[in-house]
Amino acid sequence: MLNLYITGAAGSAKTAMAVGLGLKLQQEGYKVSYFKPIGITTATGYNVDEDGLLMQKVLGINHPIETIVPCNTSPFYLTRYHQNEEIIGKITSAYNELSKDSDVLIIDGAIFPHAMASMKLDVASLAKQFNAAVLHMIKIKNDFSLDQAVFFNRYFQCHNIPVVGNVFYNVPRQIMAKTEGVYKEILSDNGFTTLGIVPHRSELTVPTVEQYYQILGGEILTGEDKLDLPVEDSVVGAMTIESALAYLRRAPNKAVVTGGDRADMALAALETDTSVLILTGGLYPDVKVIAKASEKGVPVILVHHDTFTTIERMTQVSNRIKPGDEERIKMAVENVEQYIDWQSIITSLK
Amino acid sequence: MADFKTFFNPNSVAVVGASASPGKIGNAVMKNIISSKFKGEIYPINPKGGYIEGIKAYSSLSEIGKPVDMVVISVPAKVCVGVVEEAAGLGIKNLVVLSAGFKETGSEGMELEKRLVDIVKKNNMNMLGPNCVGIMDTITPINASFSSVFPNKGNIAFVSQSGAMLVSLMDWSQETGLGFSRVISLGNKAHLNEADFIDAAADDPSTSVILAYIEDVTDGKKFLQAAKKAAAKKPVIVFKSGTSQAGAQAASSHTGALAGSDLAYETAFKNCGIIRARSITELLNLATAFSSQPIPQNSRVAVVTNAGGPGIITTDAIENSSLNMARFSKDTIETLRQNLPAEANIYNPVDVLGDANEDRFEFALDKVLADSNVDCAVVLVCPTAITDPVAIANTIVNVNKAYPEKPLFTSFMGGTTVEEGVKIVSKAGIPNFTFPEPAIHCIKGMIKYAHAKDNLERSEDSALHYNDVDPRTVKAVFYDVFRDKRRVLLGSETYEVAKAYGIPASPVKLATSADEAAKLAEEIGFPVVMKVASPKIMHKTDVGGVLLNIDSPEKVREGYFQIMDSVQRYLPQVLPYGIEIQKMEPEGTELIIGMSRDVQFGPMIAFGLGGIYVNLLKDVSFRLASNLTIAEITSMIGETKAYTLLKGYRGKKPADLGAVVDVIARVAKLVLDFPEIAEMDINPLFAYEDGLSAIDIKITIS
Repeated sequence: MLNLYITGAAGSAKTAMAVGLGLKLQQEGYKVSYFKPIGITTATGYNVDEDGLLMQKVLGINHPIETIVPCNTSPFYLTRYHQNEEIIGKITSAYNELSKDSDVLIIDGAIFPHAMASMKLDVASLAKQFNAAVLHMIKIKNDFSLDQAVFFNRYFQCHNIPVVGNVFYNVPRQIMAKTEGVYKEILSDNGFTTLGIVPHRSELTVPTVEQYYQILGGEILTGEDKLDLPVEDSVVGAMTIESALAYLRRAPNKAVVTGGDRADMALAALETDTSVLILTGGLYPDVKVIAKASEKGVPVILVHHDTFTTIERMTQVSNRIKPGDEERIKMAVENVEQYIDWQSIITSLK
Repeated sequence: MADFKTFFNPNSVAVVGASASPGKIGNAVMKNIISSKFKGEIYPINPKGGYIEGIKAYSSLSEIGKPVDMVVISVPAKVCVGVVEEAAGLGIKNLVVLSAGFKETGSEGMELEKRLVDIVKKNNMNMLGPNCVGIMDTITPINASFSSVFPNKGNIAFVSQSGAMLVSLMDWSQETGLGFSRVISLGNKAHLNEADFIDAAADDPSTSVILAYIEDVTDGKKFLQAAKKAAAKKPVIVFKSGTSQAGAQAASSHTGALAGSDLAYETAFKNCGIIRARSITELLNLATAFSSQPIPQNSRVAVVTNAGGPGIITTDAIENSSLNMARFSKDTIETLRQNLPAEANIYNPVDVLGDANEDRFEFALDKVLADSNVDCAVVLVCPTAITDPVAIANTIVNVNKAYPEKPLFTSFMGGTTVEEGVKIVSKAGIPNFTFPEPAIHCIKGMIKYAHAKDNLERSEDSALHYNDVDPRTVKAVFYDVFRDKRRVLLGSETYEVAKAYGIPASPVKLATSADEAAKLAEEIGFPVVMKVASPKIMHKTDVGGVLLNIDSPEKVREGYFQIMDSVQRYLPQVLPYGIEIQKMEPEGTELIIGMSRDVQFGPMIAFGLGGIYVNLLKDVSFRLASNLTIAEITSMIGETKAYTLLKGYRGKKPADLGAVVDVIARVAKLVLDFPEIAEMDINPLFAYEDGLSAIDIKITIS
């Protein structure tokens, strides 16, 4: 029985890694199972952990979702502090169930490695309990992201938790060179291994209008059938119309956020490559704007928040792999095959 | 353009939705057609039948059983489609749809409007509207509208996007005596638009002046074509509303179309010889002037006045409008001196003094108009106790008849005292203004038109043509950019594009690592410029993204990280593609050549002083790229202060003007060949004594 704990910050592609590695190992003849001790439920989403549902389907796990994800958390969970014993009990029995009939158990980390540390349910505590080795996922935002990775690696080391290595996932082309030339080297100087650097592939990470709508709520005024358009960029239309066109033209497949009363801005956006028009302030646009948008096949979402709140919410949109999304599931496996030294993961687990 | 053979002079008109109840539009139209003394057949259509305004009504178009040239429709929007289908089936060609409830009301209305247009296009019909007031033609005559007033017969064609403006103006014209040949309310412009009617008015022998009120242009290309053709024959005066930021926003919500930039309208109007009125008052003044007076041969204005102050005011206005005060010939001056009182001013402005009677006015005006140094005249009449406005007015009318080729304007300055005099000159077609400035503005407008007409005649020469351009390379570059899901080209890519079109650009190469940067710098040769490569960064200097004069491989390596770190500090979300390495070029005169593709009129080229002060100095002139000629480019450069610099300012050697003209022409060629280029900027473009070098080129594609 091999236990691999995938950890990393939110958005570091833990799930994509679990999908890719899990399927790869199945192809290699291993019996693979998936366990996410601490799941997360979103305010607008389902009441169960979406990753759990995904992995249950992808790996064909014959256990109920309550076993795969025995416990869920949210940013406000500490009122349940006294239920510590009960939760640990649930997690332990779920682990026992899942580990029974598998060669490799992929354990997926909570939203952050430190989540639920107050209840000793953080990644390090659980990894120790399950005797698991850690695979750390790194998403580079800036140099501090690397510091964070080094810090976690060192923390695991101090607690005698084996780290099989680190993976940089979704690395934009622009910082590929720095990742290979600088970050990898620094990790190595600190005694930590890099198992792979996976380049950014927009197909894997670009969210759709639908995902924005789920986060923002509001009213779809037109284009209900176009919610699958990709959103690659966003532009706030608050400038004068003369300068707006230059900004709008620079961004492809974008969401344009502007006030419902800015008919001129909305029309300018519709002249350029726009995937969704998000009108703020609960101001209904002129009928001609809606007519033009439906003519161009661009969805219009009316939200009741102000522009700032809307943009803040939009930053929460992340693109998760959904069950049945064969293309992206396939791509996750390809990434593991092409860019990650998965053989040495197996070797080090043995 | 549409075939208007029977649109303005139908032999028969059917009114669908004709009504016997006063207060209904279907009733107003019937009354209007009848009272306009329309000579053809009138067929009211009403399912109830009976008689409407004394004419037998039919239950449907089909029931008429005789050919119908035009159908005026005033039934609810939903019913319109059926009516238009029926008309199409009967082979009727002309439709005037007054009904509202279409595009202006939302998606449902837009659908209905689309269906109308589909039927109309399929059956080669002409449709005005929907949502319009109708048409009026004083020559035919016919008043197929619900305007309360039918205008006087005249030579002005008026095309209006606003029904309200049209109705008000018609009412106002009754008072001033302005006459119209035809009047068109455009409505939603679903099928026929301003271009069609300007084009038709150009061919109309009864029209000598075309007037238009517009909020937007439906089809820029077609509009330019129609306006150019018209302006070559007769003056086209346009008032375009929505010029302010808020106004443009209002226009957008009114028309449902994105307003093109006002600058583009200005440039387009200039391009096709349109005289642009800045206010409704100016529009009407110009209409009055053009419809009643000839175009002056030149800009030399004579002023005859009976008061000193107004003479000075008028002189100021003439000079400030870039017109010239006429300088009389020696003979004229001598004759004036001998025959006018000693205190009179015999030079321009001629002051015949406050005690002048009609004889003195007649003498002075006749002498100055006879002078070949005078192209037009303004007479100022100030009502003193001795002045007899009626007698003076009659005199002016007589003198005007003797000089029909020289435009004449009057300003009877006052109210009730001069009222009768004003009536006399106005009736004789001499435009009168209460105060002199508008008269001068009118002359300026006429001179502008004369110049524009000249330009149109001269610009017939060939379009820009180059054999040495390589569109395939450009296409390949754009393909790669699109594939990379970008809209903005990197410096290394714009260099390829520029090179392919013979635009002299300083070479740029992209490095994705410090070592590569050093290697490329050695290839290019030191010293070099290093610039961050990112389509997301508009102003690279502001984020520490540019290093100049780097002279060694070590410094290039160091610079690579310096720029990357600085950019990341300022813009943590932006991930640069790398660093562009470019040769450090010697400084020249900094110029800018820009292009922005206007939604209505297509690519618009800008030229002026470049560098970081572009937005501050605003020394830029504009032209539309389509039909741009070398002569136009030269005149475009001449409009800027940059031109003064290029000629050699304060001992500096002149720059290579020919090369500047060539680059502008090549940019125009590039943006015309590639409609996917949405924006382009060369800033700075260094101009040297010999040749040029484009330092920074930005291209956005879509």
